[in-house]
Amino acid sequence: MKPDETKPGNRVLPWLALAGGLLFLFPALYSIFMSFQTVDAYYTGTLDFTLENYRLAIGQFHFARYLFNSLIVSGTVTVMGLAFATMAAFAFARFRFAGGNLLFAAVVATLMIPSHISLIPNYLSLARVGLLDTYAGLILPAISNGFAAFFLRQYIRGIPVALDEAAYMDGATPLQVLWRVIVPIARPAIFSMGLFIFISEWNSYIWPLVAVGDEDLYTLQVGLARLYKVNPGEDVVNWPLVMAASTITILPILLGFIFVERHLVRGITMGAVK
Amino acid sequence: MFSRLTPYLLVLPLMSFIAVFTYIPIAASINLSFREWDFLSPTMPFVGLENYRLLLSSHEFWNSVRVTALFAVISVPIRLGLALMVASYLVRETLPSRLLRGALFLPSVTSTVSIAVVFSWMFATDYGMVNAFLVSLGLGRVPWLQDPQLALWVVIVVNTWKQLGYDIVIYIAGLQAVPQELYDAAAVDGGRKGHVFRRVTVPLVMPTTYFLLVVSVIEAFQIFTIVDVMTKGGPAGATDMLVNMLYRVGFTLFDIGQGSALAVLLFILLIALALFKSRVLGRRVHYEA
Amino acid sequence: MLGNLKTLFLAGLVGLGGVAAAQADVTVEFWHSFDGGSGESLGKIIENFEAANPGIHIEAQNIGNYNDIVAKLQAAIPARRAPDAAIMEVTRYGLFADRGVLLDLTDYVDNDPLKDDLFDFAREVGVFDGKNYIVPFNSSTPVLYYNKDIFARAGFTEEPALKTYDDLLAVSKQITEKLGDEGITGIAAPGQFARWGLIMDNDSDLIDSKTGEILIDSPNTIEAYEWMASLVHEHKVASADGVTKENNGRDAFLAGKVGIMLNSTGNYTRSKKALGDKLAVLPMPCNKVCAVPIGGAGIGILSSSDKEVQDAAYKFISFAASPESNAIWFSGTGYMPINKHTAKQPLAVSAVQDKPGITVAIDQLDFARGRPRPPVVTWMRASEYDVWQALALGQRDVEETLKDFAERTRKEAERTN
Repeated sequence: MKPDETKPGNRVLPWLALAGGLLFLFPALYSIFMSFQTVDAYYTGTLDFTLENYRLAIGQFHFARYLFNSLIVSGTVTVMGLAFATMAAFAFARFRFAGGNLLFAAVVATLMIPSHISLIPNYLSLARVGLLDTYAGLILPAISNGFAAFFLRQYIRGIPVALDEAAYMDGATPLQVLWRVIVPIARPAIFSMGLFIFISEWNSYIWPLVAVGDEDLYTLQVGLARLYKVNPGEDVVNWPLVMAASTITILPILLGFIFVERHLVRGITMGAVK
Repeated sequence: MFSRLTPYLLVLPLMSFIAVFTYIPIAASINLSFREWDFLSPTMPFVGLENYRLLLSSHEFWNSVRVTALFAVISVPIRLGLALMVASYLVRETLPSRLLRGALFLPSVTSTVSIAVVFSWMFATDYGMVNAFLVSLGLGRVPWLQDPQLALWVVIVVNTWKQLGYDIVIYIAGLQAVPQELYDAAAVDGGRKGHVFRRVTVPLVMPTTYFLLVVSVIEAFQIFTIVDVMTKGGPAGATDMLVNMLYRVGFTLFDIGQGSALAVLLFILLIALALFKSRVLGRRVHYEA
Repeated sequence: MLGNLKTLFLAGLVGLGGVAAAQADVTVEFWHSFDGGSGESLGKIIENFEAANPGIHIEAQNIGNYNDIVAKLQAAIPARRAPDAAIMEVTRYGLFADRGVLLDLTDYVDNDPLKDDLFDFAREVGVFDGKNYIVPFNSSTPVLYYNKDIFARAGFTEEPALKTYDDLLAVSKQITEKLGDEGITGIAAPGQFARWGLIMDNDSDLIDSKTGEILIDSPNTIEAYEWMASLVHEHKVASADGVTKENNGRDAFLAGKVGIMLNSTGNYTRSKKALGDKLAVLPMPCNKVCAVPIGGAGIGILSSSDKEVQDAAYKFISFAASPESNAIWFSGTGYMPINKHTAKQPLAVSAVQDKPGITVAIDQLDFARGRPRPPVVTWMRASEYDVWQALALGQRDVEETLKDFAERTRKEAERTN
């Protein structure tokens, strides 16, 4: 036993820090607690629990619908975004072709471009083709993900070319090489990127805010912001109801977090350290 | 073995989406910024630099620039300072340390709207938790989000709470790359904890700090959601960030010309910051390594 | 023979047409701004209309407040997703009329007996540039509401004078001093409609309704804003909550936390329900002169809709302004009658009897003023909120800020009108 481990302070301190961590999460934890309180209990400070807030949020305030919309939009963006990014990353990593460097530079440059410059033009172009207030209108502008393409290209470059060549010798087509050789090896990186895309799309706010006017197509973020701002009931804010809606909004990420945390951390740190 | 077209076909889907939704809109924004339009008129007359002139001569624009810069200048050092301190404590792979990292990291992947809503409640004047706490201490209620002197600080607190975990994760990665011998050496020299932190940790993670600095400044200039939900830029413009102004000018006042001009200015500013990052940062990283 | 064939053919056409008309139900998408009790009254009117007009379906959607409707409508135009009809606030439809978004209803109105039944003030709100673009639905003036219980507890044994700015301030101060410990404040920060009213009381305006001259920086307007802002940041008799979010002031009054509220008569029923016998209603103050703005909204039809839908929409609009509908609306909300025959309706008669104060707004009509509606008003009103926040929270100098705002409004008027 090392000497410092016998000091009681060194055994207690980490757990104290952990308590500090819980305190840090207190606002979020309390909001979940509050979502199970009755409105009266909340305002009078008594204890009385109910599922009524969830029933209201899901039923009268359409959060089941918003949840469904968010799943459809984030799911599609993730699948299509990953597919396009992986294909392009494979091309940039493995092929030398005229204009390839220029195109790759154009992809990398998107990492610097703030998305807000395209807000008004994207609104107008989608309006012109009648795609506002549709799932397509929410999904299409979010699909191209320069970061994922860049990240996966770097990853694929780390895979020995000999593996590709062996497959080509066996008569594989490039798509087959991508699918049978590259993708299986790059799976952890692709998975990290998939999580990354899914979470950013799930939490995306400004585009759904402008692109959707029809309540049936609200995503959770827009629905929650509106529920809070519009404040139904003309009276003091119904905080327990708002918190139930908020809990529904963070639920999928909350539930999945423990399982995917290390993949997320890996994605983020690899991106940062390059 | 395969056609010369193959790589082009592989990049085609991504490139076409990038072209349609990123590059063409930049050109469109620049074009609209020279025009006058309100979504309703059948024509959009060319007005030259008029939109830029109006923008640059308006109180509102400079207020937004000031507020956004103030937000960046205050919040980024707080974030990075806190994150480095916490990270240097959590760098060890023990169970409580890993759990705590998870707890701190969680908000950064959580819905910003949810966080903004929860903190709106925390800082609500009448039924908020913060004021309830103050009242229980015998202090008065504070109108956190109604007072122009306080609202920006609340936004900073909320943003820090959300982003801190991300900074910590990056710092831990940076710290783990630092050879343990350096610490051991410093410890042998009898360095006290604070001393080691200042003399060893801080300089060694400088590349990481530069990276985070630029990334968070760029991010700070694009803050929108927290403000939109909590204050809408108020009270009296005290939290009116550039993107919130852009949204208001574009989608509340429908001054498409001025909104586009604002978008173009923001674009130029952020590109400049990003170029600064790749220039200065690229050099620094190599130098330090 | 030929003649017979022709008749047969025509009969067939008529038959086909008849079948088509019976089958093709028309749906009118209608955007409005009414929730709670007002929403229920509107629902009743729509129900009656649909019962009387089988084949026409009114798809009503509550979009939010007037600002929300204006913003959403403007955003909807390039996307071609505008509704068929919409509630348009009386000062903010000019922009849409000017840009050809709203249908010119002059022919419809001229051929509708309704036109002679509408009060003159109500008919006038729908006219822009000599043409009729909206038909009045909910007309209002601001009134002064107060909470008798709070007044009594603050030491007023009888109703104090509430005529001038000084009167209002004195009463608000006394309430805040006496009851501040209970979290009660004297007066709700005035909303934009009430601000406009208080400016008129000070013998001024924001924009002259006849000449279109911008009066935002005229001395009397500046004086009015100085006084209104001082309620919040200097005398602290009005809570800043109602400055950052207009409805907070109203909600606090409804919750019995505020002594005085200046607000649209359209809040009458809601206030009566919340406060019962504690509620008292008075005319707006008359600081320099007695004058109130006419507010509220009418219903307009979008020029992008099909003719058939437009016809159906007009039928509904006309129905909604009928004495029967108007009586449901008046008694259910407190908005003023717009139809001369509404007062004779049983619902209206009993409302006047049972709901003291509901007629205050009507009595004010003698000195009510119409307001201008050139395109720039939409911009001016959307921008005024931030100006007011800055003034009320003591962030900027009143005179300097209003001069700047007036200048910007003049420029905007030049650009957009």
